[in-house]
Amino acid sequence: MAESMIRIEHLSKSFGKTEVLTDINLEVKKGEVIVVLGPSGSGKSTMLRCINLLEKPTGGHIYIEGEEITDPKTDVNKLREHVGMVFQQFNLFPHLDAKKNVMLAQRRVLKRSKEEAEENALRQLDRVGLLDRADFLPAQLSGGQKQRVAIARALAMDPHIMLFDEATSALDPELVRGVLDVMSELAEGGMTMVVVTHEMGFAREAADRAFFMEGGVFVEEGTPSELFDHPKSERTKDFLGNIK
Amino acid sequence: MQPELKKFVKSSVLCALALSIVVTIAAPLTSNAVDVDVTTAKSNETSTNNVLGGEPTRITWEMLIDDGEEVAGVHLVLPEGSSFTDDSSVRMTVLDGIDRLDNDISATIDKDELAIDISCPEPLTGGLRLRAEIYDTALPNVDGEVHLGGTYTLTDGRTADLPESPGIEVAKASVTQRIVNWLDKQPWVQAWDSVTILNLFFQPQLIVSSLPNVFHGWLLSLMLVAIGFPLAIPLGLLFAFMKIFRNRILHAIAAVYTGVIRGTPLFLQIYIAFFGLPLMGVNLNEYLLAILVLAFNSGAYLTEIFRAGIQSIPQGQTEAARSLGMTSIQTMFRVIIPQMVRRVIPTCTSEFILLYKDTSLLAAVGVMELMLYAKSFVATTGNMTPYIVAACFYLVVTLPLIRVVTHFENSLARADGNAPPSNDSKRKKRREAKRALKDQQASTMTSVEAAGAAAGGGAHG
Repeated sequence: MAESMIRIEHLSKSFGKTEVLTDINLEVKKGEVIVVLGPSGSGKSTMLRCINLLEKPTGGHIYIEGEEITDPKTDVNKLREHVGMVFQQFNLFPHLDAKKNVMLAQRRVLKRSKEEAEENALRQLDRVGLLDRADFLPAQLSGGQKQRVAIARALAMDPHIMLFDEATSALDPELVRGVLDVMSELAEGGMTMVVVTHEMGFAREAADRAFFMEGGVFVEEGTPSELFDHPKSERTKDFLGNIK
Repeated sequence: MQPELKKFVKSSVLCALALSIVVTIAAPLTSNAVDVDVTTAKSNETSTNNVLGGEPTRITWEMLIDDGEEVAGVHLVLPEGSSFTDDSSVRMTVLDGIDRLDNDISATIDKDELAIDISCPEPLTGGLRLRAEIYDTALPNVDGEVHLGGTYTLTDGRTADLPESPGIEVAKASVTQRIVNWLDKQPWVQAWDSVTILNLFFQPQLIVSSLPNVFHGWLLSLMLVAIGFPLAIPLGLLFAFMKIFRNRILHAIAAVYTGVIRGTPLFLQIYIAFFGLPLMGVNLNEYLLAILVLAFNSGAYLTEIFRAGIQSIPQGQTEAARSLGMTSIQTMFRVIIPQMVRRVIPTCTSEFILLYKDTSLLAAVGVMELMLYAKSFVATTGNMTPYIVAACFYLVVTLPLIRVVTHFENSLARADGNAPPSNDSKRKKRREAKRALKDQQASTMTSVEAAGAAAGGGAHG
């Protein structure tokens, strides 16, 4: 049995009186790729953000590599070093060029030397195919390139887990491919990943398990082919019908 | 008794004798045949009654001849450092009481010795008054009293030094005073000044004479704002943080600060600081106090500028930084503030411009700065020109800064990707197009030449 990377028990989250997540349970093993689908507002992103505490859960427990992060004594910054996150809106630092975007946290958080951080930054940029864009400012990059730099930035921290929050939703269709390729490569390399996406192709190709979420609960789960080709729930069927 | 009386008489006689000897010896020195009782010079400055040194003026000198004396000539010497001009001239007058007598006195100017030789073919008798008016002649350029000296000759051939004349108070003329005096004499300046509006607002003489003081005031105003504004920046950052962090007490303190300072006029704040603090026994140097008031005032506006700047940075930036494991302080200083700075530079520059202009309010409490220097000039001359000069000194700073603001705003908008092409880039494009055209012409020429050469070569072959 592979090591448990993420274990979520009875997770709930509400904003004021609005309950966004209700009793979520999930376990992700090392090297597993999980895909979460669902209509907007179903709580997928909130669940993802709870995993690195960008949102504070209202109830339940989350364990990362066996350590309970919902325990108030946990060092949040330490946890985040090992959990990379990629956002829908890229969130590159606009005042820094691509290379410095990738270097910043290495220097300040991991306290790497400038040379070490720079070497690693160039390696990560090469990995996402953007070595030639190292000196470009985010404003000079296309959306797809920005997202690949954002992935390189997260990878430079040597994360054990990567979270993707609709990483391709803000991209023009022709730019989606490049980002998905990078994600597939990561998955093949054995990275533990939780991916919130609408990309069925990617889900089929790379995911070990797929979840359908609606109204703050997992409605259905299974292998991608089970979920996509033989959905059991009516709501899953409707949803898949809409995005196909 | 008698011998004592004898003794007394003897000593009295001795005393009298001694006294008379002293008097006879002293007589040639103290008793003058003449008395110099008038020496004056005409004021040669526009705005005051000063006699400026080094500037042509009219010197009047008068000598009264004692009864029983006859004067044949005078050698009048000007104070050292005086100078005659090419226009210098002397007019001699002889007065008997208030009557003017005809005379044939000749006066010649001796430029080398700075003297005037006056000779009277017909001797001047006792009771007459000799007056010399020396035109277009400059007294030495010094501060203080100057005297005219020289000698006189009596008809019997005796010559004696003239008694010391009353002093003429001379003020040292500055460069600007000399320029003003020069301007006063220019026909175009006189024509210019005869137009009321030009005279009242743009009088050349006043521009020149107020310039040094107003310039001095300008430097002081710049100093006030150049020290006050940088002090306001950390103040603004501190209170901006207090407003952003979720601590109720800190937030309340910052809210009171910005509310009170931004909700009341700077004028009032200046009054309270300058009159209130001394009442409390706090006596600060007025410039220091002025800087503190400006810094505290501007700090409140910068607080709001910085707060808005920080809050305008998308939440995603913080999330991205935090998701990489950066602490909130690292995120603030490495990610948020660098972006905030670029965004607030235009507004901060505008705030600087406002503060710079507001230094003028300090004139109300007597801090000598640009405005007050100009005002004091206007008060003495009743002419608006110094205010126009002051306006120019304000504009010298504000106009370029306004351009800087526009430039920053454009470049920021361009960075955000929604700007109209700037003039610069338009000009650049035009220039590039021109160059391309030239290159094209050049290349066609060379190709024509090359073709010619080839044809020539062909003919040879």
